[in-house]
Amino acid sequence: MTATLTSGPPATSPGRATFTALAIRETRRLVLNPVFLFAVVITAWWTWAGRGTAVADIGLVNAFTAIFLGGFGMMATYWLTRSMRASEPVVGVTPITLPARTAALCAVAIVPFGYGCLALIAFLHFHSASDPAYGAFSPSARIAVVVGQIVIPALGGPLLGVALGRWVRFPGAALVLFLVFWSWVSLVTVVSGSHPDSVPVAVLRLFAGFTFFALHSDAGGVTAWRGSPWFFIGWQLALCAIAVLVALLRGAEGRVRTRIIRALGIAGVAALILLVLAALGGFTYPLTA
Amino acid sequence: MVTASISLRGVGRTFGATRALAGVDLDLKPGVTGLLGPNGAGKTTLLRLLATALPPSQGQVSVLGLDPEVPAERTGIRRHLGYQPQETGFPRGFTAFAFVDYIALLKEQSQPAARHAEVRRVLDLVGLGGLGAKRIRAMSGGQRRRVSLAQALLGSPAVLILDEPTTGVDPEQRVVLRAVLAELARTSVVVLSTHQTEDVAALCERVIVLDRGRVRYDGPVTELTGQAAGRVWLADEPDPAASISWRTGTGRYRNVGGRARDGVEHVEPSLEDAYLLLRGGSPEHEPAQEAAS
Repeated sequence: MTATLTSGPPATSPGRATFTALAIRETRRLVLNPVFLFAVVITAWWTWAGRGTAVADIGLVNAFTAIFLGGFGMMATYWLTRSMRASEPVVGVTPITLPARTAALCAVAIVPFGYGCLALIAFLHFHSASDPAYGAFSPSARIAVVVGQIVIPALGGPLLGVALGRWVRFPGAALVLFLVFWSWVSLVTVVSGSHPDSVPVAVLRLFAGFTFFALHSDAGGVTAWRGSPWFFIGWQLALCAIAVLVALLRGAEGRVRTRIIRALGIAGVAALILLVLAALGGFTYPLTA
Repeated sequence: MVTASISLRGVGRTFGATRALAGVDLDLKPGVTGLLGPNGAGKTTLLRLLATALPPSQGQVSVLGLDPEVPAERTGIRRHLGYQPQETGFPRGFTAFAFVDYIALLKEQSQPAARHAEVRRVLDLVGLGGLGAKRIRAMSGGQRRRVSLAQALLGSPAVLILDEPTTGVDPEQRVVLRAVLAELARTSVVVLSTHQTEDVAALCERVIVLDRGRVRYDGPVTELTGQAAGRVWLADEPDPAASISWRTGTGRYRNVGGRARDGVEHVEPSLEDAYLLLRGGSPEHEPAQEAAS
């Protein structure tokens, strides 16, 4: 006996409805994740608690949003990505390919990004851009500084978590990477404080997903460091693109894989150019105001 | 139009220096086919090949007339595939309903109402209709096995690949599952691997015995069982002439294989007897011995 069944032309990508439904499902899982919930609540509390408080420089307060939404968001998406690994023998033989599932996971980053935008609005409400704590930057550059310190890390951290979850098996990898980032930013900030004129030090400081652009001076005032906050945003966005592409590369085959690798090359070059521009642009010397 | 069939030609699979499958030729049509063989015979490897989870090292596999090595065609196969692996891991915190619903979503069932109805249907089929809200981690091994089977049954697939589906499942549920699979097999290719020969005897019209990566027998269950006719007998003691003997619940010994002496009490052979004979008398090809007492 031979049965027949009708089938449409084989397709490699899921329908838009399936992808949207999957992205919504993954988003719901992220929103209910205890680590992410904690990050959202603590960010809201921290922002609210800091209202009306005079700060010597904004770096003292805005880094916490990056830590919570970016760092903890990375750990949450890492867990989310890894959570289906045990079910891969079943999940892996469904019509939705691994890159498509990865894309749905990347789409959840829109939630922390949205929270980041809200946190930025609240931050600017409580710490006006005209505050001297921003340093000698122009009004628009001040906005660029906080966008790069609050909004983009909230997007990039979760995307990095997905990429890490796709490629690394070690369960504590996200925590280790978070600590490495923390240590790196702390180290280059200290070095920048002692060598504010150095271009190589500026490059090292900017070679991260998060950086400080100003530091309260012991002599009084706020010292704005070398570098362009605008190009730094470009560098951060290029890193986000690289994280997405690296995540999508897992399980990609044929023409899709070739395209991803090509896009990775382009994003890598763009990131390098933007890093150089970020280091060479903006103030070319430290300025205390 | 896609034909519900599977074809393998000269299929082999190696893992490093280990040869798991070699020179396998099969044609599978709608119906239930049982896969028997000792541990390490290549059953799981063969099922993973059929489920598009693993590419062959040699030969050609065709499922529903499509080539699983071509990404677009593989996706086409997976649209009509249900697969229950030997071991299914479950994500933490998922209920049975949530897990099967998640898999249904990955099987492109994007309409929530229809998807939920389908999830309830398959959970009912495996006897978990009332346990959909229970967390999988809190379930027994048999219940988890049934959750795994439920996801494989989603959408009544044209190809259903089951790796030891009844392990840990209680007898009542096994009977229910046999009925479900028999019904599905009217139009679908169902391949199940098991160590429980009674399931194969009760459900399959065809059996394939694998040994060391090669097909040792491929044919009707009744024919394999028939090969043991006259070679199974009961005696008060283990018979040295038998390939294998064991003490049964009645206190008498069931002797299989070898040459029976005149006057012994012959009994109807079972598929298990025939399988043991085919395997050379014992699971490890050892000389005749008393397996258990």
